[in-house]
Amino acid sequence: MSRVLTIGSGPAGLEAARCVAELGYDVTLIEQLDRLGGTPEIERYAKLTHHFRDSEEAMREMITAVTSKPNVQVLPNTTVLSASGEAGKFRVAVKNGGAPQEIEAGAIIIATGFQHFDPGRETQYYNYYSLPDVITISDLEGMLKDHAVLRPSTGTPPQKVAFIQCVGSRDRQIGNEYCSKVCCGIASKQAIEIREQLPDSQVFIFYIDMRMYGYWEPQLYWPAQEQHKVTYVKGLVSEILPQGDRILIRGEDTTMGRPMEITLDMVVLSVGMEPSEGTKSMAGVFGVEQNQYGFIATGGASGIDPVATSRPGIFVVGAAAGPSDLDDSFSTAGLAAVRAASVLRNGGK
Amino acid sequence: METTVKLKVQGVIELKEALVDGIDVSGHWNRMFEQRVIWEYTPHLIQEVASLNDAESFSWCYQCAKCVPVCPVDVVGNYGPRKLYKNAQTGTSLLESPNLWLCTTCMNCLRVCPKQVDVTKAIPAAREQAILNGKSVPAELQEALENTSRYGNELGQPARKRDAWVAQASVPVRVLSKEKQPVEWLWWVETYPAYHPRGIDASVALARIFHTLGLDVGIIGRDEKTTADSQRLAGERGLFEMLAEENIATLGKYEFKRIVVTDPHAMNAFRKHYPGLGGTYDVWHYTQLLADHLDTLRQHMTRSLGYHVTYHDPCYLGRHHGEYEAPRKLIEALPGVTFSEMWRNRENGYCCGGGGGGMWLDGFVVEHQARRLSEQRILEAVATGADTLVVSCPYEVSRFEDAAKSTGNENTIRIRDIAELIAEAIPA
Repeated sequence: MSRVLTIGSGPAGLEAARCVAELGYDVTLIEQLDRLGGTPEIERYAKLTHHFRDSEEAMREMITAVTSKPNVQVLPNTTVLSASGEAGKFRVAVKNGGAPQEIEAGAIIIATGFQHFDPGRETQYYNYYSLPDVITISDLEGMLKDHAVLRPSTGTPPQKVAFIQCVGSRDRQIGNEYCSKVCCGIASKQAIEIREQLPDSQVFIFYIDMRMYGYWEPQLYWPAQEQHKVTYVKGLVSEILPQGDRILIRGEDTTMGRPMEITLDMVVLSVGMEPSEGTKSMAGVFGVEQNQYGFIATGGASGIDPVATSRPGIFVVGAAAGPSDLDDSFSTAGLAAVRAASVLRNGGK
Repeated sequence: METTVKLKVQGVIELKEALVDGIDVSGHWNRMFEQRVIWEYTPHLIQEVASLNDAESFSWCYQCAKCVPVCPVDVVGNYGPRKLYKNAQTGTSLLESPNLWLCTTCMNCLRVCPKQVDVTKAIPAAREQAILNGKSVPAELQEALENTSRYGNELGQPARKRDAWVAQASVPVRVLSKEKQPVEWLWWVETYPAYHPRGIDASVALARIFHTLGLDVGIIGRDEKTTADSQRLAGERGLFEMLAEENIATLGKYEFKRIVVTDPHAMNAFRKHYPGLGGTYDVWHYTQLLADHLDTLRQHMTRSLGYHVTYHDPCYLGRHHGEYEAPRKLIEALPGVTFSEMWRNRENGYCCGGGGGGMWLDGFVVEHQARRLSEQRILEAVATGADTLVVSCPYEVSRFEDAAKSTGNENTIRIRDIAELIAEAIPA
């Protein structure tokens, strides 16, 4: 059996499918929606953290790199119903539109990604669902794409905007003890974009600690502060309250050891990552273990393998395994493609 | 009347006596609470500094705070570039704050700063702007600046007396303005070594050492004016440039190969700023020149001194120009001397407080710090068990002698320029 089944068509799924196809094996890529691209497509990402590349353009290139391969079969509008078999000979029942179908595959790559934390679950008083001018980084991404960063309440450009970091992340009460890894970079990227689109605006980022992995430090954080004059303040916010037709945030400036009460026009919640519904259901369908946060557990026998699930022949890539940036998605996709290919070559051994 | 009582709780103020419209509101009747809540962030006050010439890096601070423990002013007060940035971000204009005048430009912060925030550029630029804005300059500093402008030296001494110290020297000193002959080493004496009694002691000693070594050395004499590097750092760049033009023109009249300076601040001006203004010279600090003749010096230094010494690195010789070893080589060669380092030395040497205008801000600084930097340093020197604190910058002898007195250590430790000790070790 020389086919690999890849589930999910975000960056990780696309890259895994492309790599398997490049290695000369057949791929079936299934996607539950009618279009490919995953979260960047669904949430209308404006720009990527990588050199501020246009997200739509980058995704289009990735999609074309997959759909142009003769040995890739793309099945949109498709969901997985059940699975049986083992490494080298899986049989997976899917529903393509209305029609059931069975796919035989030697290896499976799960790339079902994440969903953003629902700020309604936040234990702080953040008022996401009651104050229109409290939005999330994903809401803002669409505004940036449309070049229409506007206060939802008035339709006018905000003068003062604040990002609040770690919403739904690093929180024992919420149950998400992990760092979502990308939000510091995304907030800094978006702060730069707001300053570019609204040069008269004042932009704040309230944080516990800025986690700028690797090159994000010189590519995002430093330029945001040094060139784009974004105001970084160490200390999170406990309350977001209405103040007339504006917003009052209350917190502590920990560097000064003093309380702060700042009036703003718009607040952006840097919501973290949680396993998507698809990720949770695929874990059930394929019987792979999940970690305590619901992501698909990795590690394999060595404990350090980032794509191995609890079942041989089934691999996980990208944010289905936990908070990931695009680099993580690409790295795990490539690794999983090689692993899947060797399962096919060795007949499941 | 204005006596302020701070209660035990931080941020609470009470005036002991207060009278408002004839009504006595003394004591708790006038109790006031300082504002604790931050209502507004003021990044424009960061830009107020960062937008000045050469000061952009002020806005790069990301609050890591590495600068604070190495800031000599924080040791005796509440200071450091991180705090200046944060204060500006939360409503305090640096240009309006007393903090503007407390930095000595010692550069220890820049040494450790991951973001290369350079307050040795930002602070002088901010001072310059504050002066342009008409802010009041502390009175002593104002006087030193006026003296510099009027007399060509901060002490307000007449130019004709600039070479008067030569009469005290036991050896002939060539004064080039009088003889107009070529010389190998042009000795730039600077203000304190020319006029201050303890500076003159070092000049007299140095003249004797140069003579002993048979070096071809001459001073300019009355036409020499201060390089005014510290005045530049105190905010008077215009004055600095004006004097630089004059000094470069003066130097153009003489034939010499190299310049030897007594004052590291003069070395800083010559090496870092004069080239941009049209004056490029090969400039040596006198400790470097003497260390270069160490073998000959050793032969002459035959008198055992019997001192236990420690050494203070001048900021403008050490951190600013990387010279830590020449003075130590000279100390090591002194006969009958044992040497102990202070715990802050070389790259991490503590500042005497005299740089960046601090020489002329003593009264102002005392109001804002627990003690003078020179007093802090004297205590560190005494802690080594040394009986002699060796210095190599003309600001330091008088500063440390004052500090030894004010800390009650005048009988514990003596202050000597390296030149004085070398001369002492050479029998007459």
